[in-house]
Amino acid sequence: MSVLEVNTVDRLDRPSAYYAGKNKRRRDDREERDPEPNNKLQGATTLYVGNLSFYTTEEQIHELFAKCGEIKRLVMGLDRFNKTPCGFCFVEYYTHQDALDCMKYVGGTKLDERIIRADLDPGFEEGRQYGRGKSGGQVRDEYREEYDPGRGGYGRAYDEQRQREEDEYGAGR
Amino acid sequence: MADYDRDRRHNNYRGGGGGRKRRYRDDDDYDRRPQRRRYEEPLFVQVRRQLLTIAESAARRVEDDIVGIAKSVADHYEDEELRDTLVNISLDLVLEQPMKIPFVAAVTLATHNLKPELSAEVLKKASNLLQKHIDSGSWREVKLLIRFLGSLQAIFEGDGIFPLLEEFFARAADLQSASSEDLLGLELVKVILFTIPYVMSSPATGFEAQASALLEKTDIIASTPHALVDLVNTFSPDENKEAAGPSVIGLMQSQLQAEAGQGWELKCLPRPWKSVQEESEEQKPFEVVTKVPFPQITVPSAVPNGPRPLFPEVYLSVYAEQEIYTVPPISDITSSIVRDALVDTINLLDFNRVATAKYLIDIDCYFTPYTFVKRATPFDRMRDLAGEGQSWKPEDVAVDAVFSQLYQLPTPEHKLVYYHSVLTECCKIAPAAIAPSLGRAIRYLYNHLETMDLELSNRFLDWFAHHLSNFGFTWKWSEWVDNLELPAIHPKMAFIHGALDKEIRLSFAQRIKGTLPEPYIPLITEGKEKDTPEFKYLSEMTPYSKEGQELGQLIRKKASDDEIQPVIAAIEEQAQGLGVEDPKVPSTDAFVTAICFVGSKSLSHVLSCIERNKDRLLSTGSASHQARGQIITSVMEYWADQPGIAINIIDKLLNYTILSPLSVLEWALNESIAAGTILSKPHIFEMISATVGKVTNRMRQIVAARTQPGLYEPQLSVLDETLSRERVEMQALFKFIEDAIISVAAGSNDELMERGDGSGDLPEDAIIRQWGRRWLRVFRRKAGVEEAFINDALAGATPVGTEAPALTQGDDGDVQIGDADAIADDQ
Repeated sequence: MSVLEVNTVDRLDRPSAYYAGKNKRRRDDREERDPEPNNKLQGATTLYVGNLSFYTTEEQIHELFAKCGEIKRLVMGLDRFNKTPCGFCFVEYYTHQDALDCMKYVGGTKLDERIIRADLDPGFEEGRQYGRGKSGGQVRDEYREEYDPGRGGYGRAYDEQRQREEDEYGAGR
Repeated sequence: MADYDRDRRHNNYRGGGGGRKRRYRDDDDYDRRPQRRRYEEPLFVQVRRQLLTIAESAARRVEDDIVGIAKSVADHYEDEELRDTLVNISLDLVLEQPMKIPFVAAVTLATHNLKPELSAEVLKKASNLLQKHIDSGSWREVKLLIRFLGSLQAIFEGDGIFPLLEEFFARAADLQSASSEDLLGLELVKVILFTIPYVMSSPATGFEAQASALLEKTDIIASTPHALVDLVNTFSPDENKEAAGPSVIGLMQSQLQAEAGQGWELKCLPRPWKSVQEESEEQKPFEVVTKVPFPQITVPSAVPNGPRPLFPEVYLSVYAEQEIYTVPPISDITSSIVRDALVDTINLLDFNRVATAKYLIDIDCYFTPYTFVKRATPFDRMRDLAGEGQSWKPEDVAVDAVFSQLYQLPTPEHKLVYYHSVLTECCKIAPAAIAPSLGRAIRYLYNHLETMDLELSNRFLDWFAHHLSNFGFTWKWSEWVDNLELPAIHPKMAFIHGALDKEIRLSFAQRIKGTLPEPYIPLITEGKEKDTPEFKYLSEMTPYSKEGQELGQLIRKKASDDEIQPVIAAIEEQAQGLGVEDPKVPSTDAFVTAICFVGSKSLSHVLSCIERNKDRLLSTGSASHQARGQIITSVMEYWADQPGIAINIIDKLLNYTILSPLSVLEWALNESIAAGTILSKPHIFEMISATVGKVTNRMRQIVAARTQPGLYEPQLSVLDETLSRERVEMQALFKFIEDAIISVAAGSNDELMERGDGSGDLPEDAIIRQWGRRWLRVFRRKAGVEEAFINDALAGATPVGTEAPALTQGDDGDVQIGDADAIADDQ
């Protein structure tokens, strides 16, 4: 392990821009802001895991993520309405180091033949296991234009529109 | 005016008054936009980039870059930022990207001639760092810093680095004569040996005598095999003497001696100063005019052990037995020099596996051009290139180095999955070049499964399945088809079964089935394809089927224990009537199997079932020995087709303390030993290793608590007692494994003897005994490593009976703590 404070190449165990960005957006509206948004991630033992297939099971996730340390808790992300997996989860380890190692060694590799994303997370809270998209899943699955068989086909918003157009076309005839 | 506007706006903004108008907001946004760059990139940024990427590009002459960097910095000596960049980045590279050391040293050398004040700053920082790392016992960092200074031998007066190396040797000799078990001395010798080639390939001349004299001294230490070498060998010499590798320092010692006899050719090491000197007559950036004294370094009389536990290292090459060499043979010093640089690079850059992979793929940039053949040269082409002055296949050399770490015993520096991920990245960057190399490595490892250390063959299994999961599970299974006729307990069959199971665990049975050639299809049984294994109580034929079903329903509807108890009682009553020895066995079977069935939907389902029925399970586990064993049996049987899930549940039951580590060992190595055939099952090895791992982890946590500084009575005694108690338990656990397996290894296991005609000569008997020997080796090593760890840690701990220093009045809390630490350190 490197002994340097600043490394000669980038580190893969830094929180992604998502977390910092989320904080910045809020900052525009309010006077006070978190002086150091990454503080909450110091000592974090939880990871947000994204881009999973809807069909990937807890056991598969466990199998891969246990390679970085014993897993304390695994929370599957669910569709808000159907309560079915919707392609993300939270993995909680016992130690911060295990979570960092997971970012370095597992984030960006494949699970169930999909490149998954792992991001340090301040910790799971009740309610966060549900998708925040309009139709119950993750927001990204609402407006996706590409077909992704592992995540329910086309984006749901587009899917609806497509369905409507098809129905109208049929009616016109 | 602009400033005035700006101030006013900000005042307004901060005041938060309602008068803030839209216009301001727009202005504000405008201001925040990134300003167009008006200046050239500052020189220090440019130099920083040049230095960081030194030697990385094959399209540029590294010699020009070296001279260019030195000139830029020397010409702008007054630019402090630029000076700092040179000094800091140079040493950062030394400590993080060791393959670049010769090039960084060349920059320092060129700077020295242009501006000695500048190189003096580099030397000052290097020696400060070296002193720091010597004092903390960080021997790898010491090795790299000394390598850097050794490459600069030409600028030092007198003998330069040699007196320091001699001092290292003196310490090593002291340590070795004090104890034959010493490992720190070996580490110091390693530092010396891996410095010499860099001194001898540097522009300094006339040091052959010093080098040879030093080599003569190190010989006795480096060439005497340490007692632990056999224990950490990839192959136990008892199983496979030919494949067992030499020790890293023993090998380097003999290679250096050979090199001394050939005028220190060291043909793989780059000498970036050479061609520049030959080309131009007037410009001699690397010819040293003014020499400086070697920096003052103090080697403490008692050298510290350092943060990493020390073990001897063994040289492993997975390309050792090919009909044509693709990696340097161990007779060539290139093998050791390149391996050492690669291994350090891999272990230092664990925070960016993509960068690690890139440097591995670019390995040919950092050594002389004739060291390697062109990238991605096919194996068959290597045949034509073989012979005198042969070059090596860069991909094989790189992959070999990663495997040497993945198969490092007792443990590599990082988690195994890091080395997996490096190989995955290598494959992503250069699939056509790397994949065939991996294929040949896999074949070597597969062909040596019988004699390889058992822990390593399980690491191989785990890596193999994980690696394939990243590349669509494609493997040429057809080449092992013939082995499908081997007996089930044969190591190769065990590997095939284990690998398929692990693939399924990362994917699902049907998917894996689709990747296999026809002859393998029967291995994916119908049971493996079922998400929910059959609940045996659904069949009327199963004894207690009515009660079993009833239990299933009760557990599903989250019934209270009061509702469950009558059903359990009914089973036990019936069993008693049938004359069952322990009626708790059938009731436990029904209860645990029902939990598995109801919880089969997912891990969290089974966990919540266990959680709800925890009290009953806890009391069952402690009630009778047989019932405890039955908990394990029921889980293992319900999930017999998907053993990965079974051992995962066992693991959680251990966490709930429903099972004890010993009960798991008893179940596997006594009750289910099946004449030793159970030892061939990879998931059993995994389960036992994980169980033992839980115990040793806990032990290490207790040791950490006991040895933390600033601890006093009465806590000291409390922790010490806990430690002693748990240590005895841990030893008992290892003793149990030893006793259980030794009879299998010796062929004196009762069941083993009763097989067949009792002669012990059945064809499979030899295989079983070998499994026994391989298991023994692994757990004896684990026991030894843990004992050594505890002893080392306790050697430096505060002794029991140490009282906190008396408080003096008027001191505030902070001061007391500071004083206490100082006193603790003194003792």
